[in-house]
Amino acid sequence: MSTNLSGKYAIVGVGQSPLGKVPELGPIGLFAVAAKNAIEDAGLKKEDVDGLITRGPDDVYCHHQKVGEALGLNVTFSTSTANGGASQTMAVAMACMAIEAGVCNTVVVGYGRDTWSRTHRTAEAKQAVASRPRTYSEFGSEFGQFGAPVNYAVAARRHMERFGTTKAQLGAIAVAFRNHARKNPHAFMQKPLTLEEYLSARLIVDPLCLYDCSVFIDGAGAVVVTTAERARDLRQPPAYVRGFGFGNRLSGWYADDNMITTGAKEAGEAAYKMAGIGPRDVDTAQIYDCFTHMVLLQLEDYGFCAKGEGGPFVASGALEADGVLPTNTSGGQLSEGHIEGMLQVLEGARQVRREHTADRQVKDCNIALVTGHGGNTVCQSALILGREAG
Amino acid sequence: MSDYNKPLPPPSVESEPFWDGCKRHELLVPRCDRCAHHWFPPAATCPECWSTDWTWARVSGKGKIYSFGVYHRAYHKGFAEELPYALVVVELDEGPRLTTNVVGCKPEELSCDMPVEVVFDDVTEDRTLYKFTPANDG
Repeated sequence: MSTNLSGKYAIVGVGQSPLGKVPELGPIGLFAVAAKNAIEDAGLKKEDVDGLITRGPDDVYCHHQKVGEALGLNVTFSTSTANGGASQTMAVAMACMAIEAGVCNTVVVGYGRDTWSRTHRTAEAKQAVASRPRTYSEFGSEFGQFGAPVNYAVAARRHMERFGTTKAQLGAIAVAFRNHARKNPHAFMQKPLTLEEYLSARLIVDPLCLYDCSVFIDGAGAVVVTTAERARDLRQPPAYVRGFGFGNRLSGWYADDNMITTGAKEAGEAAYKMAGIGPRDVDTAQIYDCFTHMVLLQLEDYGFCAKGEGGPFVASGALEADGVLPTNTSGGQLSEGHIEGMLQVLEGARQVRREHTADRQVKDCNIALVTGHGGNTVCQSALILGREAG
Repeated sequence: MSDYNKPLPPPSVESEPFWDGCKRHELLVPRCDRCAHHWFPPAATCPECWSTDWTWARVSGKGKIYSFGVYHRAYHKGFAEELPYALVVVELDEGPRLTTNVVGCKPEELSCDMPVEVVFDDVTEDRTLYKFTPANDG
């Protein structure tokens, strides 16, 4: 029954908004700028777009309609996604499925959020941060469970206890991504970061410190997905969608072994199978990095090293530009900025297009793995992009 | 009691019997009548076999620490004076894992797999929280 879609569809355009502190634009405005840039990058026109898959702030109801209104778009297929950081890679896959099903031909996929401005734009916004109104949930808030970092702190602690993973190994992830960010003029964090600075940084939720956490910025990213056939006539080299896969361990982060082996295992196995490749064929990885430890877990689950060996693997320098697996080569969410994984979809496409200057370009880059993670910590989506269709 | 300043989310229709049990200093967990699986948080069907026949079972209250994170930053003013404090995941002997606090023990004394047992903290007239403490026979 199943049809292999590998190489039948491609990312043909990429675009981003200004990144960082952009108080003059709201979440929809940021998205619209990124979408316009992606469509222009492809050499397409507004009239060519007949599909739209979006994600933005969770408090915008029917987000894709708001984006479509801003762009003056009427399309046959549109929706907004709710898998958190796993949504963006999943949305590219959904675009392929929708085109395969014949419901549309050219789909804009993107994410945008005014995350920095929400807490800094006005005096009122700053005050709201200070008083910290939040929604409380039972079986957690009573005991002081707030925010995302604790989920990854608990997972990191268990990993450390079981496999001997160290803080310095997590630090190698933060340092590698900062080194990449410093070559990317659009990255938010440009200051050098040493392992010593990492190890002396203030703790947020021990064992995680400030530099284990992604940086919240304003911004948006978008890509255009269409058929491989159409892609060949467009302006840019296509980034072919060679594989995708999903793993959603909905039983929860705190259940079973889910914070040791994640749904990335299932996502990766499916994506590699579809692409007909294995982890050794991956030239660059763009790994969803809300926190350093999540990178380490995914590197294991996507098969770049054995379970429990993520610490030594990252400490070997593997993720650096000259390492065995240059990873998050635009700086990732830890240093470029947290746009819920969308910028990593763009970076994966740019790497297989080989459009970067030599200092940022992964040499002979044919295959990029892009991963998404989120949705109450248990949703995983993988996307494999290729320079060739197969 | 009235100056208690930490969040106390109201029980849901599905969790009310659990919190009523805490008030009586009983730790109650749903147990399937068909397959004997215990689960948490409360839900209307057994997540193992989907049976809707189940019972609130009083469990031993014994377990061990699965993992924990130590807050060095206050996300809520009610916890500011507690810093650093640990959010602990306890695995009950019966299987389910609960997020909680461990009392009678400093954060730096915690470790994964440490045996713990339940204690009850009557934080207000209406609410009692389940917490854990290092097990005497541990």
